[in-house]
Amino acid sequence: MTSTAQSGAPRGARRIDGWRWAGRIFLAFMLLYTALPMVWMLLTSIKSGFAAMQFPPQWWPSEPTLASYQKLLDPQNSVGQDFLRFFWNSLFVSTVTTILAVAVAVPAAYAFSRFRFPGRKFLFFAVLLRNMFPAVIFLVPLFILMRWLGLVNTHGSLILTYLTFGLPLAIWLLKGFYDNIPFQLEQAARIDGATRFQAFLYIVMPLSVPGIIATAIYSFIGAWNEYIYAATFLTKNEQLTLPVGIQRFFSENTTDFPGLMAASFMMSVPVVVLFLLLQKYFVRALTEGAVKH
Amino acid sequence: MAQVVLKDLVKTYGSIYAAKDVSLTVNDGEFVALVGPSGCGKTTTLNLVAGLIPITSGDIVIGDRVVNDLDPKDRDIAMVFQNYALYPQKTVFQNLAFPLQMRKLGKSEIDTKVREAARVLDITHLLERKPRELSGGQQQRVALGRALVRDPAVFLMDEPLSNLDAKLRVQMRSEIKRFHQDLNATIIYVTHDQLEAVTMADKMAVMNGGLLQQYDSPANVFANPVNMFVASFIGSPAMSLVPLEVASVDGAVALSSAEGWSLPLSDANARKVATAKSRKVVLGARHSTIRLHKQQVPGAVPARVYTVEPTGDITFVQAFLAGAVVNISLPPTAEVAPDDQVWLEFDQERIHLFDGETEMALRAS
Amino acid sequence: MTILEGPAGAPRKPVIRQPGLLSQMWTARADYLYVLPAIVVMLIVIAYPVYYTIDLSFFKTPPGLQLRDKVFVGTENYTAILSSDVFWKVTLNTVIWTVASTLIAFVLGYASALALHRDFAGRAVLRAILIIPWVISAVAASYIWKWMYHSDFGIIGAVMVQLGLVDRQPNFIDNVHTVLPSLIVVNIWREFPFAMIMIMAGLQTVPEQLLRAARVDGASAWQRFWHVTFPYLSGVSTVTILLLAVANFNSFIVPWITTGGGPSNASHIWITHIYELAFGRQRWGVAAAYSVLLFIIVMSLGYFYVRALSGNERKEDSP
Repeated sequence: MTSTAQSGAPRGARRIDGWRWAGRIFLAFMLLYTALPMVWMLLTSIKSGFAAMQFPPQWWPSEPTLASYQKLLDPQNSVGQDFLRFFWNSLFVSTVTTILAVAVAVPAAYAFSRFRFPGRKFLFFAVLLRNMFPAVIFLVPLFILMRWLGLVNTHGSLILTYLTFGLPLAIWLLKGFYDNIPFQLEQAARIDGATRFQAFLYIVMPLSVPGIIATAIYSFIGAWNEYIYAATFLTKNEQLTLPVGIQRFFSENTTDFPGLMAASFMMSVPVVVLFLLLQKYFVRALTEGAVKH
Repeated sequence: MAQVVLKDLVKTYGSIYAAKDVSLTVNDGEFVALVGPSGCGKTTTLNLVAGLIPITSGDIVIGDRVVNDLDPKDRDIAMVFQNYALYPQKTVFQNLAFPLQMRKLGKSEIDTKVREAARVLDITHLLERKPRELSGGQQQRVALGRALVRDPAVFLMDEPLSNLDAKLRVQMRSEIKRFHQDLNATIIYVTHDQLEAVTMADKMAVMNGGLLQQYDSPANVFANPVNMFVASFIGSPAMSLVPLEVASVDGAVALSSAEGWSLPLSDANARKVATAKSRKVVLGARHSTIRLHKQQVPGAVPARVYTVEPTGDITFVQAFLAGAVVNISLPPTAEVAPDDQVWLEFDQERIHLFDGETEMALRAS
Repeated sequence: MTILEGPAGAPRKPVIRQPGLLSQMWTARADYLYVLPAIVVMLIVIAYPVYYTIDLSFFKTPPGLQLRDKVFVGTENYTAILSSDVFWKVTLNTVIWTVASTLIAFVLGYASALALHRDFAGRAVLRAILIIPWVISAVAASYIWKWMYHSDFGIIGAVMVQLGLVDRQPNFIDNVHTVLPSLIVVNIWREFPFAMIMIMAGLQTVPEQLLRAARVDGASAWQRFWHVTFPYLSGVSTVTILLLAVANFNSFIVPWITTGGGPSNASHIWITHIYELAFGRQRWGVAAAYSVLLFIIVMSLGYFYVRALSGNERKEDSP
């Protein structure tokens, strides 16, 4: 910056550089704010319980150990058994929720994007409004509903519930994608001899694959991280999903901070990996749905 | 190939008429252009024929079938879209093959037909490419190919050239015309560009405000526009329209202006003016029928030059006459400058007269 | 001339029958099949719970009574709520929590998006890192921060002691004065990436020509932002702020896992308070009445939400 300033660049150029530096300093601060907790989680998770509880803290573990991870992942050990079971439960519930949400949201989003049936706007906003309701409102009545359906203490109760908040989001995101697919493509297909449904199946569906991927990631992450319904609907230990399971376990073992951090890390791995692999779809979904003018 | 008949076709959206009582017949093998400004109902009419939007009332007959309630796929039509609507995930070959697959043709038959269409349109070397790897002109050709491969009864084209640059547009214009002649195809072609309609079509249907204004050969529409809208829409530069009043000067019928001059009319024109509903009459004249004088001559009326636009072989002059702008074309050697006082002489045989109230062309009764 | 706008000007064919609503619905019956599955699911799990909650809010379940043995008490639950001190305390907390979290997360996200808009080495990596807090589970985030705030071994307090800012480890989340701000820091950590993504996406839609034009007109970087970019992004910004506000208003996990609402209600917000009333103290009727009040507030926020979202509706013919 200084070299251009000294060589007599106009004042405007110097001011732009000022903004650039302000931006860099700000980003450095945000990086610190964002990354420090994650780094500290990792560093704590490879300490022994004793090393974690020192004052002043050991910034860098003097004797790094993977003991906490071994404990969590060891199927012979009761902690490991529980953790792996929670992990599997979370995976199962999130996967089934995602598949169902996409399967139901695809036709609905398409209809909202394309068709002009009476009540379309009302229905669309009714669907969107679901996202406005706090989970707590639904807890008691849904619990009673689940009991009536005989679904308490089953993963079915969670899947059905997760669909209710996964669906509106999925429909909204997918509608954004469909809105961006020119409807002339379907017109062309229909003139080329396709029925309306064939036009959807052969032409629109393949084009909306990125949207479907993005929607699937959102549904999966939402279901994976859900806590409040799981905490209410599930009581049996072997049914619990990760967030609830970890919370129950560590409310009884309050001082095992390395274990808690290792568990938090393990719980974050699938969603973070999913996000990093499919980042571009993830961000694009919001772009298409929310930002278009 | 087949003929297409529209009978009293109506399309409403709420209380708005997008197309109102449109009736016309497209004969077998005819190239008809639907032309008009945007929002005039031409695209709506095309979509009604295609079956992409349902009709409110009226009849559409393709060949000998009433197709009012048929799905687009059952109407035996092909359509070329303004943005080409090529399937982006499919290769050119797959794009061309799609309409045949939908009709459940065999693999080898599809292959033969696609290659034949590709050969006709000279896109064989592009068959394995995706649409986004093609230029605008190539995409246009693929879109034509997709329509051609089916051998439909009618081709519908919705502003197929408007996304191309000017040079390519002229080239594709002649290719589509060739396409029509070679196939002897029935084509309904929508455009807002009157030049495309005039150069390509056997007949043109001029639309405005959802209404069919005039349906005739381009030459007849050009020579005898039925009303002021058609007169000003067809031809470039537009026909000049000068609002005047009927007056009697020395016992002869004349048109007089607020500026004080008057223009005596020939007997034939005087008979036309006699049919006008009021004294208000609009004088219309095309640029090539007006003579410009730099001195006052008998029968010429005074005007003031506004702009001079040399284009090379013709120089266009705009002049103010009785508050209206008049277009005149001159040879490039003419020496005229803005603000010059000039005199304009109208050819009584070739002027147009319109009723100032109804805007309809005046005809001798 | 002869431009006809409606039946009034249609002399030859005077009667264009407008199809009635029912016949329109019948014509469009196939369209409903596409949305039917979604609507059925939503009906079961929205309409019924809303009805049930409103109904329950007029009943009381005294200690020892089962939920099914509830007693009708009219509007007593509502008057009890509005006259209690805790209600106003929790409401104040909720307002502070929602407004502070929303605004700060939005500003940080906006600034990050602007700073990341310019290309530089490592931009993609940095962007990915900044988004991660939004992806990871709120439960995990709560535990991480709870550990960092720990009153004996927390790293934040330790750093402050080392730097000489304080004499001994501050007790961030067991102190009625610091607990709410501390939790807001956690919440913002989780939420600013959302604002960042939305604004980043919005920035891509700002026409380069407008910025160039402003530059030619002599606008400084700040003026270009203030007069071009900022107004251009007002639509996205509104949607983002509303979504953040709704999420914050409805947030539960961070305060619940980190502090459970304590100490002495200092970090209770509406949702955690309702949850505790219902599942902690079995006061179902009061909790339901709270929910109804909350519902009314959320619905009024929802009005703006829907309006902002419907601004994005396309107006084109259907195929």
